[in-house]
Amino acid sequence: MFSGPRQRGLRLLTHAEWCGVPSEADIISTVEFNYSGDLLATGDKGGRVVIFQREQESKSRPHSRGEYNVYSTFQSHEPEFDYLKSLEIEEKINKIRWLPQQNAAHFLLSTNDKTIKLWKISERDKRAEGYNLKDEDGRLRDPFRITALRVPILKPMDLMVEASPRRIFANAHTYHINSISVNSDHETYLSADDLRINLWHLEITDRSFNIVDIKPANMEELTEVITAAEFHPHQCNVFVYSSSKGTIRLCDMRSSALCDRHSKFFEEPEDPSSRSFFSEIISSISDVKFSHSGRYMMTRDYLSVKVWDLNMESRPVETHQVHEYLRSKLCSLYENDCIFDKFECCWNGSDSAIMTGSYNNFFRMFDRNTRRDVTLEASRENSKPRASLKPRKVCTGGKRKKDEISVDSLDFNKKILHTAWHPMENIIAVAATNNLYIFQDKIN
Amino acid sequence: MEVQKEAQRIMTLSVWKMYHSRMQRGGLRLHRSLQLSLVMRSARELYLSAKVEALDLETPSTPTRCPDPRLHPPREAEVPAACVPPDGEPLSPEPMDTQEDEEEASPRAAETLARCSAHPARVGRKRRSSSLSNGVDAGLVPSKKARLEEKEEAEDASSEVPDRLLPPPAQAEGAFPNLARVLQRSFSGLLNRGPTAPPTAPPARDAKPVCRPADPVLSVLVRAVVAF
Repeated sequence: MFSGPRQRGLRLLTHAEWCGVPSEADIISTVEFNYSGDLLATGDKGGRVVIFQREQESKSRPHSRGEYNVYSTFQSHEPEFDYLKSLEIEEKINKIRWLPQQNAAHFLLSTNDKTIKLWKISERDKRAEGYNLKDEDGRLRDPFRITALRVPILKPMDLMVEASPRRIFANAHTYHINSISVNSDHETYLSADDLRINLWHLEITDRSFNIVDIKPANMEELTEVITAAEFHPHQCNVFVYSSSKGTIRLCDMRSSALCDRHSKFFEEPEDPSSRSFFSEIISSISDVKFSHSGRYMMTRDYLSVKVWDLNMESRPVETHQVHEYLRSKLCSLYENDCIFDKFECCWNGSDSAIMTGSYNNFFRMFDRNTRRDVTLEASRENSKPRASLKPRKVCTGGKRKKDEISVDSLDFNKKILHTAWHPMENIIAVAATNNLYIFQDKIN
Repeated sequence: MEVQKEAQRIMTLSVWKMYHSRMQRGGLRLHRSLQLSLVMRSARELYLSAKVEALDLETPSTPTRCPDPRLHPPREAEVPAACVPPDGEPLSPEPMDTQEDEEEASPRAAETLARCSAHPARVGRKRRSSSLSNGVDAGLVPSKKARLEEKEEAEDASSEVPDRLLPPPAQAEGAFPNLARVLQRSFSGLLNRGPTAPPTAPPARDAKPVCRPADPVLSVLVRAVVAF
């Protein structure tokens, strides 16, 4: 997977940039492959969803290398105003989750801070012609002029991809939604905000069940919030949620209707030698993801990625440092708000590797088997179409070698918060502010 | 003292961030508010323990204090001992160029000292409850008036209807004017460094070595979170 002697490496497959001049609305806020990997959905701060589709590699189009091209674009959420609280509700798409495909159409859930929507994306490549009551322009025909009846015929047309909202799940969250997760039963899904987790049925929009509620009776006693939640990939009764205190709770919906009491509690004892002023903030978990096997889960906190065995609650089985050199910079990162950045993480299809983002458009990949890790950069300058990505190195002290970059030269405005890995192949999608990069691992 | 200044700077910064986060689109975010209040609390503890240390160094044998001989010597011994390992650490994990040393030195100092202040802070808390009752910076100690206000607000907050059924009532608007007032008061307290009102250490403080319950800035900040 990582550049070795056999000229293997990650090559740029597709680069998409949102508009020419980056504006706040063009910042990509979520990236997600569908179950087959043929579609890649992205959401941005402006409430838009852009779906990319993989081109079929075929003999008739030898130049196509299986690139991803824009398939559909639609406005999922609009800014709203809550008049009661005098607050604007941002249209930023926080998460997109695909539903497993059941027919020709594709379905996905997209959510902003308050409302979840189920979108149907369908193709139309035929059009009916020869209507009786209207002519080809669409104008109504004068009924007295109709002397004969004809049967409309379906004729091929240019492919049109339509997105239509099929369900709107609203008014169930007082706090800001941070996660949605589709259940393995394909009928239900959960949505989590800072203090509560709700269970929905995909068909029912006017009701949801509250399954976790950690709101204290007295808000002054609030000490932690929910930061992420996910259903187990195979066991439809099991889900996990992470907290701002760095703990993960696994809950079984069979045990009780309200899962305030966890079945398992995952927490690593704090290392007292590394305790610092900002320890509490950096221990907050920003993302939790089950492995495809369902045996492990991965959590991301500010400086590291941890892999947990579901059978062992006392500590993670693996800890990977993402950018430990930032530990001494926490005060500056607090000043520029970077310490609050919420990085995501993802598994590859076989669970042998994990990936997460960092600053300066760097992203990190860890091979769990070989214990090797690599830092790569997603930027236009470094991504020539046929050249493979060169590993990058951050110089943490002493003399800076050639090609190394010093910590102080890192651009903290260029952060990679969202990454996704194709479910089966070695294709990764990396969102760098308003740019999307899709890389493929290929042998030269 | 540098640690004190740094802690104060972080407190001020946190309060500013807290206030500023109200202006952003989407309103106050609960997680962010919580994180800011955590940093505020840590900074405050650091500030107070640094202040206590400074005062102890200035007036080593003040009769008005209630000196605890058990605490005093061990604390003085602990502080240098605890500080040595972090300071002795090679600075190679600090990948800074020398020209930026000055900028980074104070946060680093704060963090290094924060590590060893974990000890004196714990010990210092015990001292604090006794020393503060003797007229240390009163801006940090809640006055009776503030406590009465808090009590009223606490009652308002807890009377919220369970918001599974209803959106929270608009009394949240009432929290913000109070926040501004308390921020003003606590700022002047931090800056004046002189006792302005007879302090009253609430008895609950002695019971727990935890910096809760009556902390006007912190509790109002957390209450501002109830604005949802």
